[in-house]
Amino acid sequence: MKKVICLTAIAAAFALATPAYASSILDEYRNQAQQENPSFNGFSAERGKAFFLTQHATGKAETPACTSCHTNDPTQSGLTRAGKSIAPLAVSVSPDRYTDQRKVEKWFRRNCNSVLGRACTTIEKGDFITFMQTQ
Amino acid sequence: MNAPQEKSPIIWDLPLRFFHWSMVAVVFTAAVTGYFFEEWWLDVHVYAGYALTCLLIFRLIWGFLGSYYSRFHTFPLSRNGVVTHLKNLLKGKSEQHAGHNPVGAWMIVGLLATLCLLVVSGFIVWGGQENKGPLASLIGYQFGEWGEEIHETLAGILMFAISIHLLGVLVETFIFKHPIVQAMITGRKEGVSATGKPVSIWHSLAGMLILIGVGAAFSYWITTKQQPPMAMSSNETYQQECGDCHPAYHPSLRSQNDWQQIMNNLSDHYGEDASLDATTYQEITAFLNSQNANTFDTEVAHKVGRHDTPNQRMTQTRYWQKKHDELTETDYSHPDIGSKVNCNACHKDADSGRFDDDQIKLPKGVHS
Repeated sequence: MKKVICLTAIAAAFALATPAYASSILDEYRNQAQQENPSFNGFSAERGKAFFLTQHATGKAETPACTSCHTNDPTQSGLTRAGKSIAPLAVSVSPDRYTDQRKVEKWFRRNCNSVLGRACTTIEKGDFITFMQTQ
Repeated sequence: MNAPQEKSPIIWDLPLRFFHWSMVAVVFTAAVTGYFFEEWWLDVHVYAGYALTCLLIFRLIWGFLGSYYSRFHTFPLSRNGVVTHLKNLLKGKSEQHAGHNPVGAWMIVGLLATLCLLVVSGFIVWGGQENKGPLASLIGYQFGEWGEEIHETLAGILMFAISIHLLGVLVETFIFKHPIVQAMITGRKEGVSATGKPVSIWHSLAGMLILIGVGAAFSYWITTKQQPPMAMSSNETYQQECGDCHPAYHPSLRSQNDWQQIMNNLSDHYGEDASLDATTYQEITAFLNSQNANTFDTEVAHKVGRHDTPNQRMTQTRYWQKKHDELTETDYSHPDIGSKVNCNACHKDADSGRFDDDQIKLPKGVHS
């Protein structure tokens, strides 16, 4: 009996100690999207892909699209305009991406403004991460 | 011409001859690196300067302890002697002297004095401007800057003095047929009667011991007095937040005023939104208020950091542009560089804010 309790405790500890995966941030966006729009029916990797590849050009002239710095292939490293390498966006290559909510929000805040000239909607953010999870 | 008489005594002792030809090599190296490769070969220039310092200290000691004709008190420096010699020269005559002739002796005094001032001013530039060498912690940047003016003027004077010295040697050799070059090699002047005390083997021995002693003492002084590390308290938040897209530039690269402007415009930071949350913003602002070009006494702080530009770009300062004028857009787009604001690509010590000349390493394929 003791053994069982011990094992259960260890298993529970592991389960609880699991780092926040991209899905937890995605869950939050999902909840938020549902609150914002009751007819919301899930994020789409397809829409995320289109969003990622579109030449928006509604923000700052230097950064018309996500791909300006991140390249068309999310599994490849990007390059900042100042010449610094950016870790790939694809979860398969950069597993620790989309795990720190402060960081995710910081970069959506900055980059949506740079590229789109406005804040991104919850659906856009969710679609984006969903697409990156498939990459 | 007389038939060769018995072998002349040694006029120039071995250590003096060694000194002379070492000086030729060292001064040549220093002049070439100083005039043509000021930045790229500054370390070679400085090593030549170190060698020069040792040789000069040796020569000053040897002026008192050397053999007869090496000693300063035997130099024929009297005014009468000089006037007589010059009058003779005008008449097309030059009397052969056992040691230096009066004009030659003054030449040596002038050369030695110029060289001494050159190495002293060299140390001042090295310590003040480059923040290196034994005087680094003692001399401020501005003083080093003045030192450079003096150093350059003295170098000009030295080049002039060397030309006159060589002209004198040519005239003596070809017009008056005095084999003085040979004398500086073998130590002997054929056909001259020397009245001074003869040179002995002890002179060679003592001279070499003094040279080694001077060299050892000097090396000890140089190595124990290495430059202090730069006072830079790094701020982790600054490093992290400002080092995401570009290198976290050393705070000495911009003035307090320019940093404030940059912080005020973060939402449009050179074409990108780089806004920060309030806490981070305040921490970084406080850091840049306490550390900036105005608080660092380095070359880069004086020449780049303290010069404000219309949109705070360091690449728009005159000094930056002058120093990078040989690089092209193609160079900046080299895969190992990426952009002209990626200082670290070539300046291996950019993070420390030192920007030493000998720390510049251009990636392969970039213009040099």
